[in-house]
Amino acid sequence: MSRLWARIVLSGVLLITVCGGAAAGIAGASSVESALEGALQPSAAPALLGPITEAGRKGWACKPEQAAAARTVRQAELPDAAAP
Amino acid sequence: MTVRTLAAALIVFAASAGIGGAQTYGSGTPPPRTTDVHALRALAQAREIHERFEIGLGAERQGAWAAAAPEFERIIALRPGEPQFSTANYDAGIAYAHLGRLDDAARAFRTAIGGDPEFLAAMANLISVDLSRGDLREARAVADRFITLAPDSARALYSRGIVALRQGDTAAARVSFGRLLQSDPQYALAHYNLAIAQTRDGRYAPAEQELRIALDLAPSYSRARFALGTVLLREGKRAQARAAFDAVARDPGGDVALRNLAGAMRDAITTP
Repeated sequence: MSRLWARIVLSGVLLITVCGGAAAGIAGASSVESALEGALQPSAAPALLGPITEAGRKGWACKPEQAAAARTVRQAELPDAAAP
Repeated sequence: MTVRTLAAALIVFAASAGIGGAQTYGSGTPPPRTTDVHALRALAQAREIHERFEIGLGAERQGAWAAAAPEFERIIALRPGEPQFSTANYDAGIAYAHLGRLDDAARAFRTAIGGDPEFLAAMANLISVDLSRGDLREARAVADRFITLAPDSARALYSRGIVALRQGDTAAARVSFGRLLQSDPQYALAHYNLAIAQTRDGRYAPAEQELRIALDLAPSYSRARFALGTVLLREGKRAQARAAFDAVARDPGGDVALRNLAGAMRDAITTP
């Protein structure tokens, strides 16, 4: 009789262990996936363009407006891969 | 004798007149040609606006944002015409952003655009501020308008792509970064961001290709190499993924958190 109880208790312990391990594994996999997702983020937002004089944005000397309209990445003052 | 004396006197007189002319001084600030009170007030106000712009911009050049902001606030309070009103708001927005007053910065850039609806630099800065304060809806609306006004602008395309990615709109992100790459195929960040959009859509093969191009262009781009490891892992290429994570973990110039995560990923991958 005591052997039967011992088997039942042991089976229960094993079941709990297996279920707990599986749950921990799922949680671990989930945390790994979320860590990977967290690292797969877009690059940084562009830095602010600089101040403008009282003459306003129209004119050849207004570099911030020129940067905003520029076709090339370099002139647009966009981030580079060294500081993503 | 009298004739000679007269001629000499004329020569001396002519020479002294020339010297006198050379000694005259120009007036720096012309005196107001009016006695009208309103006109004098307008002149004084114009002078104050000019001086405050000079002081405010000088402070911004030195990074003295707290000193710059009140100068532009005073100009705005004086309600000057365009382009000064929108420009003062734009410059105030820059000062607020650097002071961490992001809501005030967004309001200032918004007002600048209200005063000058085609103010591209103000749109660019409003998007950056909105991204920082998490207002993706406004950032997207401004980015869409920015693209409409300047379809070939690299900054407009990049900003719209970043906003779209943050919103989870991978289709719009692919379009923006694709167009940016058409005009500048050498831009590693555009390849990286395009790969992020493709990865989120489960398009691993083209994502891998974009990341490899990004790394060819910028071999020290750790975040792209980490993304490559992730894509390779999802493609079932475990040995290659492990090698990519290992390279990131060993990169002495890389971000510490990224290196630690890459090291953990490398150690977790068991290869047959």
